[in-house]
Amino acid sequence: MSSQDMNTPRPAAPPQWTRFPFPETLIRYSALLGVLVFLAWSVHFLNLDLQRVLGAFPRLGAILADRYFPPELGFILDQRFLMSVLNTIQMSILGGAFGVLLAIPLAWFASHNVTLHRWIFYPFGRLSIMGCRAIHETIWTILFVTVIGFGMFAGVLALTMFCIGFAGKLFSDEIEAIDMKPVEALRSTGAGPLQVFVFGVLPQVKIAFVGISIYTWDVAFRAATVVGFFGGGGMGWYLQRATYELQSTRVAAILLTIIALVSISEVVSGWLRQRLAGERLA
Amino acid sequence: MPVLEVRDLRVRYNNTGPEILRGLDFSVEASDFCAVIGPSGAGKSTLIRCINRLVEPSGGSITLFGEDMLALNARDLRRMRRRIGMIFQEFNLVNRMSVMDNVLSGRLGYTGSLRSVFRLFPREDVEKALELLARVGLSDHVNKRADALSGGQRQRVGIARALMQQPDLLLLDEPTSALDPKISRDVMSLIRDLAREFDVPVLCNIHDVQLATEFCNRIIGLQDGIKKFDGPTETMQKANMEEIYAMEVL
Ligand SMILES: Nc1ncnc2c1ncn2[C@@H]1O[C@H](COP(=O)(O)OP(=O)(O)OP(=O)(O)O)[C@@H](O)[C@H]1O
Ligand SMILES: [Mg+2]
Repeated sequence: MSSQDMNTPRPAAPPQWTRFPFPETLIRYSALLGVLVFLAWSVHFLNLDLQRVLGAFPRLGAILADRYFPPELGFILDQRFLMSVLNTIQMSILGGAFGVLLAIPLAWFASHNVTLHRWIFYPFGRLSIMGCRAIHETIWTILFVTVIGFGMFAGVLALTMFCIGFAGKLFSDEIEAIDMKPVEALRSTGAGPLQVFVFGVLPQVKIAFVGISIYTWDVAFRAATVVGFFGGGGMGWYLQRATYELQSTRVAAILLTIIALVSISEVVSGWLRQRLAGERLA
Repeated sequence: MPVLEVRDLRVRYNNTGPEILRGLDFSVEASDFCAVIGPSGAGKSTLIRCINRLVEPSGGSITLFGEDMLALNARDLRRMRRRIGMIFQEFNLVNRMSVMDNVLSGRLGYTGSLRSVFRLFPREDVEKALELLARVGLSDHVNKRADALSGGQRQRVGIARALMQQPDLLLLDEPTSALDPKISRDVMSLIRDLAREFDVPVLCNIHDVQLATEFCNRIIGLQDGIKKFDGPTETMQKANMEEIYAMEVL
């Protein structure tokens, strides 16, 4: 911008504006069309028979009524089953705690704005979190069961991996959204990266992290009920056995238990997070 | 010998973008309270932030306390930064932290990593923080959260934090633009008094020319990344002002 520009008389052109500028709009709508075509093609590929889809619901109802009813509620009180429920809760708490503790430093590395080092720690953090997320919790279970054998330890490790992926992503999103002004002020005092993290980042994300941790435990508990199905310990084992032995009414009882417990965990975590939200505004 | 010597300083924010600072030369003496004035977008903030390398210059040299700032590695840069106090337009406090912790964070450059993780500051630091808080008139607010204070009070916390560093140079980026005129004057006087008391040279961006002439002994005028004026406050004429702010019509 020099004073020359200011003095050069420009030919007066009427200002123009359009909501649909030519190349962008074309690209955007073509992409949308492409997605729709792909969806239509996928549905066609499924070979969906509308009659069968609609017929499935009454049939499901009928099967539930005569095979799974009445649920064998007495089984719920079985000593060993109750123990496995307790184990499931323990697994979810351990996996959640380890996962969250490991996720915090990894999320720090994986946050572009405050990472320890942009070319070493940043990709390391990103890849670790991505790797944990990319592999489903049941596959983690199968992997750990293969390596260290059946039981809770494998389950806890699988849940830990799952929680690192789950919480790590949410943590680093939270860190990348912080106000950078205080961070800059701390850097200007000569503070190192760890000090900047402890003084500039943690106070800003502390409450959000607690909320995310509770949410992570909630999701880990849901995952924990399934982990046992693949030999990772906990109540999932009884679900697997009952399923394979075709004890349908027992399966129904176990499923009801899972639904009840997951609902409770959801209510509890929802309540805790709501209380936190109040604190967050304060 | 000047405390700070800047030669042919050039900055661009990205390789293809425009040059924001286009070859600046100036120096700051140990006794200076030097104002940098200029219209919005002239590059005042960019200049101040180059001095402690919050922004990396793309050319030129900065010599501070006799050391070449641009040659320092990360570790030496941190050691240098702790000698430079900085005060910001928007205070840049950690809102969810207490006033005390905000002030103590000025000592981080001198505190070991492990100690600081557990917020174990040496006793002298805590005493010094209390002393400074009393000096800026915040003795009653030590344990309050930073966001419970008014703008003027927050800037006083910012001042105390900068002085905690026992700085050898103060950089101020429009320290009073977010405050009303009366409080602005109070804050500027406080900074001037403290700078004299601790014998620290000051380089200060300022929007308000009135304030600049009132509090500073020297003025540097910037326009579009180029120095248009540099001299004692008394020597600045109306014509100089008009030249510096000529771009304002845009
Ligand atoms: N982080 C950045 N990335 C790209 N361009 C930037 C950045 N910061 C500032 N600029 C540009 O540099 C120029 C100078 O900005 P600077 O903030 O230094 O001006 P200033 O003199 O401090 O203005 P003000 O009085 O409004 O604070 C502006 O044109 C601005 O758009
Ligand atoms: Mg500015």
